Amino acid sequence: MAAPEAKVAPSIPPSLSLPPSQFARLQPHAYLLAHLSPPPASNQPSIRANGRAPSQFRVTSANAGSLTHTNGSAVVRIGDTAAVCGVRAELLHTEDIASWSVSQASGSHKRRRLADLGKKSAEEDEEDEEDDEEDRAHIEDLNLLVPNLSLSTGCAPGFIPGAPPSALAQSLSHQILSLLHSTRLVRADDLRIWYQPPNLGPEEPERHNEDEQMDMDAEHSPTSESKPREIKAFWVLYIDVMIISLAGNPFDAAWAAVLAALRDTKLPKAWWDVDNETILCSDNISDARKLCLRGLPVASSFGVFEADAAAGWRPNVIPDAEEQKAQDQKRKKGSQQSWILADPDGYEEGLSQERACIVVDKEQGGKGKTVIMKMEKHGGWTVDTEELRQLVDISARRWDEMKRMLDQC
Amino acid sequence: MRPATAKWPKMVQKKTFDRPRRDSSPRCAIRKMSKEAPLSVAEREFILEALRENVRLDGRGADQFRSLNLSFGDEYGHVKLQLGKTSIVVRISSEVTKPRDDRPFDGLFNINLELSAMGSPAWENGRSNELEAYVTHVLDSVIRRSNALDTESLCILKGVSCWSIRADVHILDYDGNLTDAACIAIMTGLQHFRRPDAVVRDGQVIVYGVEERVPVALNITHKPLSITFNAFNEGHNIIVDATRKEEQSSEGELVIGINNGGDVCFLSKFSGAPVDAMEVVTRSNVALEKVKEINAQVERVMQADLAKRAKKGMAEESRAENDR
Amino acid sequence: MVGPTASLSILSRADGSASLKCPTTGYNVLGSVNAPIELPARRDALKPEEATVEVFVKPGNTTAGVGERYVEGILRSVLQKVILGRERGFPRRGVVITLAIIGGDAVERGDSYLNILPTLLQVSLLALLSAAVPMSMTFSTALLGVTKSGDIICNPSAAEAKAASSLHVLAFSSKGHLLLDESQGRFEFEQWESVRERAFSICRGMATPGADGDVTMGDGGDEARINGFICETVEDHLHRDYSWKIDSA
Repeated sequence: MAAPEAKVAPSIPPSLSLPPSQFARLQPHAYLLAHLSPPPASNQPSIRANGRAPSQFRVTSANAGSLTHTNGSAVVRIGDTAAVCGVRAELLHTEDIASWSVSQASGSHKRRRLADLGKKSAEEDEEDEEDDEEDRAHIEDLNLLVPNLSLSTGCAPGFIPGAPPSALAQSLSHQILSLLHSTRLVRADDLRIWYQPPNLGPEEPERHNEDEQMDMDAEHSPTSESKPREIKAFWVLYIDVMIISLAGNPFDAAWAAVLAALRDTKLPKAWWDVDNETILCSDNISDARKLCLRGLPVASSFGVFEADAAAGWRPNVIPDAEEQKAQDQKRKKGSQQSWILADPDGYEEGLSQERACIVVDKEQGGKGKTVIMKMEKHGGWTVDTEELRQLVDISARRWDEMKRMLDQC
Repeated sequence: MRPATAKWPKMVQKKTFDRPRRDSSPRCAIRKMSKEAPLSVAEREFILEALRENVRLDGRGADQFRSLNLSFGDEYGHVKLQLGKTSIVVRISSEVTKPRDDRPFDGLFNINLELSAMGSPAWENGRSNELEAYVTHVLDSVIRRSNALDTESLCILKGVSCWSIRADVHILDYDGNLTDAACIAIMTGLQHFRRPDAVVRDGQVIVYGVEERVPVALNITHKPLSITFNAFNEGHNIIVDATRKEEQSSEGELVIGINNGGDVCFLSKFSGAPVDAMEVVTRSNVALEKVKEINAQVERVMQADLAKRAKKGMAEESRAENDR
Repeated sequence: MVGPTASLSILSRADGSASLKCPTTGYNVLGSVNAPIELPARRDALKPEEATVEVFVKPGNTTAGVGERYVEGILRSVLQKVILGRERGFPRRGVVITLAIIGGDAVERGDSYLNILPTLLQVSLLALLSAAVPMSMTFSTALLGVTKSGDIICNPSAAEAKAASSLHVLAFSSKGHLLLDESQGRFEFEQWESVRERAFSICRGMATPGADGDVTMGDGGDEARINGFICETVEDHLHRDYSWKIDSA
């Protein structure tokens, strides 16, 4: 049995210094802390373990239209996190919607207005606000947008086959859906399929063919005396997101993928065929039209890394907010106690409890002012007004970056 | 290790997308988790010995229920039930949906029961256990399958729209006899519930708000309740409305679902030691008596509440008129 | 305006429980806490030196969906931070919080969960207090809406919330930290700052730093101070629990 001996012989005595990769695994918190707060004598800048500055995002790339069997698709990569999004449009006949033929006698009267809407839009005098309400009602109440996010098997260790959707996947699905609703990104009008019943009066010079009727959306109807046009069907957009590789910050990647995919989405021209009593779609690609999205909301996520968690112990008595501020002021020259890390990777996410996410948009394609669409933070108390103000600025810069990239793809 | 084709226990849902599934877990763990802390031998012996002398821990007779307390929330069909220390909230809700393709004339009615850690620390959130499956099965058989709620009356427009009635059972405190308590609470809720009025005009369904038209009561065909009997000491002692401790020391269970007219709509000798056939007959009589008793109480409490509501509604109406 | 009503320790099986009814939003939430409790089925997820906080939200008349998972995540991250999970008896065990929405409208799929989030947070806090779970601090929450005309409304009803241009939920700790912010809609940062100020005064009363650097609590106007409300609820309950002792003294 010489084998074990042979194995033992070349073994070198264990060295007392660990290679960085092992140090990172054994003492993750201390490792990151050492990077962020280098000893003042060393003259090294504060930098994250992955080589980024605290407010620096990872390299992001996007590619749209890579899946051919969908109506729109995109792949977005933020560092090692990659998300694929495919948008599939399916028809939903209004007769299949249980609540469609139901009108509420009281309340907002919104259902009753649905029937009148055709007339109204033909008259071209509708109020913008009312249209908004209609828009929201259709998309939200009829569930015309159905996002679903899945964390694919093996996207990160711990995602095993056959497991039901994790809480993370479910809550990301919800975040995407509620952001789609609250930003009102997709216009309901893009999803409606109208039908104008022909005027059967004998004086009508010629019967319009279906195609022309479809194009009448905006122009004043020549047959304004005729029956009001009605909605025959809706497009339902199934927005499936798959995180194929998860290395932190899945929400930014997923949302960017949804955004890019929706920008890429083309819906075929569809019309109601009276003779067959069904919806027909045009094969012709040139007939298909793109969705007209409202704005370009871009999400930026942040994680907060705290120095005092390193000791593995946190004092039970937490100082008052005011006190703490004063302490921080005093300490300012000394060592920093917490760092807000933009676009945290998986390693950093494991070390931060407090998260912040900001979704911003800029009016007039980037020239206007910055509008916040969503702002959230929870899990700690480092981030307050001042920090959020900085984060909004960082997010606004990120918006420019993302816009450039999405315009190219 | 998880099997490759892991099946998660209960996920019967309409929507195929974004369905909320929970962590699956190995079967054996479920069984272990749904168990309450076992009784000590001494405690069990004490209960059995006392029963031999026809004494129950709380001094009740063998055929006596614990005090039943029913109250109602602000909404119709919101029932809070207290049976001894077992406490349940039932909410009935309605919405307009499309009827099933194979039953265009029928509305929908579903009972949802989920045990959460609120009722007992032994139940784990988001995981089904045997008790949950069992109680759901009994409730389904006694109330839904016996057609206590006339589903045909829920049809609005054939094949197009119908009412979907949903009963959600929240168990707040569990101290035995979940089945009977839930049954009483659901039946009370169904009788108390008022759905909005809906009419069909030119193929358009119009739903009237509660302020506009008097909401409509559901069509209850009969009022079945389940009565659970627990057997002890080789079938010598059979009691109703067992507490949690009595349930734990029980050797067998007999459930009878019966209505005021004496029609048995559910009968189950599900598990445990055998019970004398004659007992089933005699216990049916006891059950009938109990059901009549409870139904009378439900009726009394409910009428009192509805009268109170009517009075309040009238007062509000006159106030509104005065304002005008 | 009628303030919220709360009661503590109303359930017998759970270690701690509380219910809260908010008249403006119509929500009635019942919460229970079991802690510390063994979680054998989650053994691999337990942390070696800290308690595991589990939150479960049970909607009143629908089946739980993705929205519940999301709000559970938020609740967990907030509560985990204030619960002292390293105290004796807590590491490697669970703090299980179950919240049942027993009154009020259901949150539809994809609807914003912000309307009910403050109530859920408040109930969890009261239930944790009722279960005597050690916490580093308490907190109070506020729900604010900004209307299209730019006015800030406090505790908007469901209809008002739907019409609002942005909705904000903020939680402040008893020591004045901003623990949580969830803002949705269209707004600018300056707007948010005034929302924060307003929320702070609702939660904590007007904090005016005195000359000696001490913070004196002013009156928050006609808006009930939520922080005070929580204190009162707990005080009332203590009075009832210790009435035998107080009477005999």
